[in-house]
Amino acid sequence: MEPIILQPSEDTPEVVLNPVENIFRIARISVPEDAFEFYQPIIKWLKEYSKNPLPETIFEFDLEYVNTASNKQLMQLMLVLDEIAQNSPVTVKWFYESIDEDMLSLGKRYEKLAKNINFEFIEI
Amino acid sequence: MQVIDDSLFDRAFNLFNRIEQQDFEYVYRGFFSHNISKKILSLADVNIQRSLGVSAIQKRIYYIMVEGLQNITMHQEDADEYLEKYPGIFAIQKHDLFYYVTTGNLVLNDRIPDLKSRIEQINSLDKDELKQLHKEVLRTGAISDKGGAGLGLIEMARKSGNKLVASFELVNDKYSYFYLQTRIPIQKGIEETSGDDYSKLRAALISIKKLHLTLNVENILLYFNGFFSQENLLNLLAIIKGRMNLSLTTIRLSNVMVEMIQNIIKHGYKIKEDKGVPGIFFLRQLDSGDFALLSGNYVTEEQKHIIEEKLNFINSKSIEEISELYDEILLDMENVDSLRSGLGLYDLRIKSSSELQFKFLKVSENLYFYILQTLIKNVN
Repeated sequence: MEPIILQPSEDTPEVVLNPVENIFRIARISVPEDAFEFYQPIIKWLKEYSKNPLPETIFEFDLEYVNTASNKQLMQLMLVLDEIAQNSPVTVKWFYESIDEDMLSLGKRYEKLAKNINFEFIEI
Repeated sequence: MQVIDDSLFDRAFNLFNRIEQQDFEYVYRGFFSHNISKKILSLADVNIQRSLGVSAIQKRIYYIMVEGLQNITMHQEDADEYLEKYPGIFAIQKHDLFYYVTTGNLVLNDRIPDLKSRIEQINSLDKDELKQLHKEVLRTGAISDKGGAGLGLIEMARKSGNKLVASFELVNDKYSYFYLQTRIPIQKGIEETSGDDYSKLRAALISIKKLHLTLNVENILLYFNGFFSQENLLNLLAIIKGRMNLSLTTIRLSNVMVEMIQNIIKHGYKIKEDKGVPGIFFLRQLDSGDFALLSGNYVTEEQKHIIEEKLNFINSKSIEEISELYDEILLDMENVDSLRSGLGLYDLRIKSSSELQFKFLKVSENLYFYILQTLIKNVN
């Protein structure tokens, strides 16, 4: 599959979906006006990937700011990962600033709602 | 139980109402770092370009803003000990055919006579004489001991094509507020300041001074009144980040601000289709050290009922219940493609230290002004 690599902008995150090098990553800021429009191609790509995933998928989330519209799209993304995890293991590395307990609780929320994924919480 | 300060909501509406529909007003009050100045400039410029496009006049306004901001940063150094209590102010307003750029900052009282005479001299000169003076100052290097403030004033007068309007407000025996206002016409041909106009200019300055007083009394750190857009939001976000140390409180304030302003952008009622969504937003620090974020925008009667019901519902639930509902909405596939996630108000309630406070003020038959306030505890 062709990797997706998006540079970060002022309101959208850096996105790397690269199965060749086994790098899956969403980082920095996600506060777009239209989160659906931004995440739709990413989720579509991931659904395609889920048909033939790597033996183990490690997905990094290293987010600074997320708006609620993005939260909802990230939930969709987590659900695709959760489905993959039913057959081949998926680990989500959830990075958060040590002071940012809100970002930690967002990660915990996804952990609770996507039970097949193995979550690692990493304080930075 | 938080007591809802009704009069604050009315005051917020009055602030919003001060400027007419076609106008915009952005005021920053606080410490001016290099980075913050840059963001203020970019925020103002985005809004000016929106109405003027990239043009000679837009560039002139930009230039005047740069000079004004430099003026503030320069004088800041003189007043270290009082900055916390009497922070500077920068305002850009559009009213009728003019943009107004106003700066207010502390100056030492003993500098006032010199500043006054400098401004009087500049105001007494016509276009050519100003050009001459500019050359002369450049050539002789007869600049002020504050490194070129004199030149800045001359340039502001030249670029604006209008007189400078200055005013001093005594703060204590050492300092005064020095207000300086420049007016720039939005088109060529309306450049001359007649005697009659000069009194209008005075009135515009008095209105800013009053606003500054309000911002000081209410301890408003950030104030935006005008048309909201994603670009404005990003600049405001950068300004908040720039002025506060990174902490859980700052992160929360930023997130809550994003939700509240995107709420205005998505749901606020547009008076004129092409103008963007009019509204007001400000951030205050309360005596307790906690923060209050307030947003105000128009909604229709139909929207009012929906929002009111939702807010009453959210306020009737415990945080645990809200959190469970949050999960349900996250998992709700029905509206996954909608612009509105439906989570915004739930998120505000979770991050807020108390119930969400709101009020609807009737503006006309089918129109209300909707004010929402979120309180954020200072947990640092």
